[in-house]
Amino acid sequence: MGENKDIHSLVDHLFRHESGKMVATLTRVMGLNNLEAIQDIVQDTLVTALNTWRNGQLPDNPAAWLYRVARNRAIDLIRRGQRFKEIAPEYAYTLQSDFALSSAFHHVFLESEITDSQLRMIFACCHPSIPMESQVALTLKTLGGLSTSEIAHAFLTNEETINKRIYRAKEKFRNQDVHLHIPQGEELSDRLDSVLKSIYLLFSEGYHSSHPSHVIREDLCHEAMRLCLLLAEHPQTNLPRTYALMSLMCFQASRLSARLDDNGHIVLMKYQDRERWFRPLIEKGHYFLRRASEPFEVSTYHLEAIIASIHASASSFESTDWKSIYGFYEKLNLYQPNPVVALNKAIAAGYALGYETALQEISAIDGLYGNPVYQVSLGEIYHKLGQMDLARKHYEIALNITASEAVRQLIQNKLSDLG
Amino acid sequence: MEKFMLIFHGGAYDGLSPEEMQQRMGLWFTWIEKLNKTQQYVTGEPLLPGGRDVKGPNGQAVTDGPYTEGSEIVGGFFLIKAKDYDEAVTISKDYPDFDMGGYVQVRQVMKMDM
Repeated sequence: MGENKDIHSLVDHLFRHESGKMVATLTRVMGLNNLEAIQDIVQDTLVTALNTWRNGQLPDNPAAWLYRVARNRAIDLIRRGQRFKEIAPEYAYTLQSDFALSSAFHHVFLESEITDSQLRMIFACCHPSIPMESQVALTLKTLGGLSTSEIAHAFLTNEETINKRIYRAKEKFRNQDVHLHIPQGEELSDRLDSVLKSIYLLFSEGYHSSHPSHVIREDLCHEAMRLCLLLAEHPQTNLPRTYALMSLMCFQASRLSARLDDNGHIVLMKYQDRERWFRPLIEKGHYFLRRASEPFEVSTYHLEAIIASIHASASSFESTDWKSIYGFYEKLNLYQPNPVVALNKAIAAGYALGYETALQEISAIDGLYGNPVYQVSLGEIYHKLGQMDLARKHYEIALNITASEAVRQLIQNKLSDLG
Repeated sequence: MEKFMLIFHGGAYDGLSPEEMQQRMGLWFTWIEKLNKTQQYVTGEPLLPGGRDVKGPNGQAVTDGPYTEGSEIVGGFFLIKAKDYDEAVTISKDYPDFDMGGYVQVRQVMKMDM
């Protein structure tokens, strides 16, 4: 025990992150079908740590302490043969002797193996046979160390919903439909896409969420970035599109603190104080974008990251290179045609080509009638074109359909601008 | 100054998430820090669950235990300095685990004055 250690020397979120690492690591040996039992071992380990450390004395290396307790507990349970379904096939030999058992656990708790285990776990959680929303919930639970109630809270839903999503995913594990490995060769590309999509969704959930707690939104974004960084730093998974997604998230995250005012209301990019954009993240964004350029490939993440980089490089909203942004939205619309991309393209058209063009483009979009951003944008375009009655009409529709207090406030301001 | 033993009963952490556990540890550390500042913290130890009960006329009856109610299990103790019971009780009110069903038993340590 180190005498002078105190709580301040404990890394933020140590329990949460180590819990994710321990689950991934133990799963390597014990198999996905024992996930439930593994999560119990990890929970017990953390309870033991809390009971032992709360008297003010921390071990010199808290993470290593946790691993030792978790490992011993797992070995103990396996020896007693309790509650375990089949052990992972490649570790089946471990059951033959105590020596093999403990050396298997020693091996997987090596630093490099911990990263490897986490990557295998990401691929398992984001397996295409698992529904998307279940992937995200399961990833947060197993790798992020969030409890079901924390996930439910973050997604503004109830625990039952999250439990169902996680249950569906675990069913696939129980049926052994999913294998715990990092895909290689031809399989890798598709499987990686599925993982990146899930990470992107996790990030968006945090970034666009109307959750009242700023901390929770940031946590989701940071968790997405942490997982993507694991992929970006691994030689098998550091494809250009991985870097591109990492770049995109860095640019977006650099604006997190400027996106809300002191009352927690959303501040549109137009009105954001660019001094508050976090420069180190913008630099990281540029760095990852350079890494994303070779070998040549274009993904939607590339296009979105480039658009974000143009915003990040502009000294003011007015001096933004809207023509380029419009051009990249056109490309994005070809790669991934959907109404939301079309809406962003129409908005960019307003600044790049004029509001008549914007009106033509936005009028051609189908299926966004119930989307508040669409209605607000339509209102704004009419506003700019001097058609005040139509502007009012669409602002009011937006007001009626938005669930977010911050957005409501924003629309009220626009309505009072109309006079 | 008198010495008091604060004995912590119950307070299981089973339902907490990892983040909540870390936050709770922060509360314990803050409490100890506060007592250290006023030089009132003497020592403290956590106790593992389980144990042995040794009983009988010659201590030959050894059983695993204590198998008492969860809320009765002693999870650890502090030895602190305080003016009197009132102050020791006030200090105990900073105990972080009341909301987990835990409670503190305050006992004064007897002085062996010659």
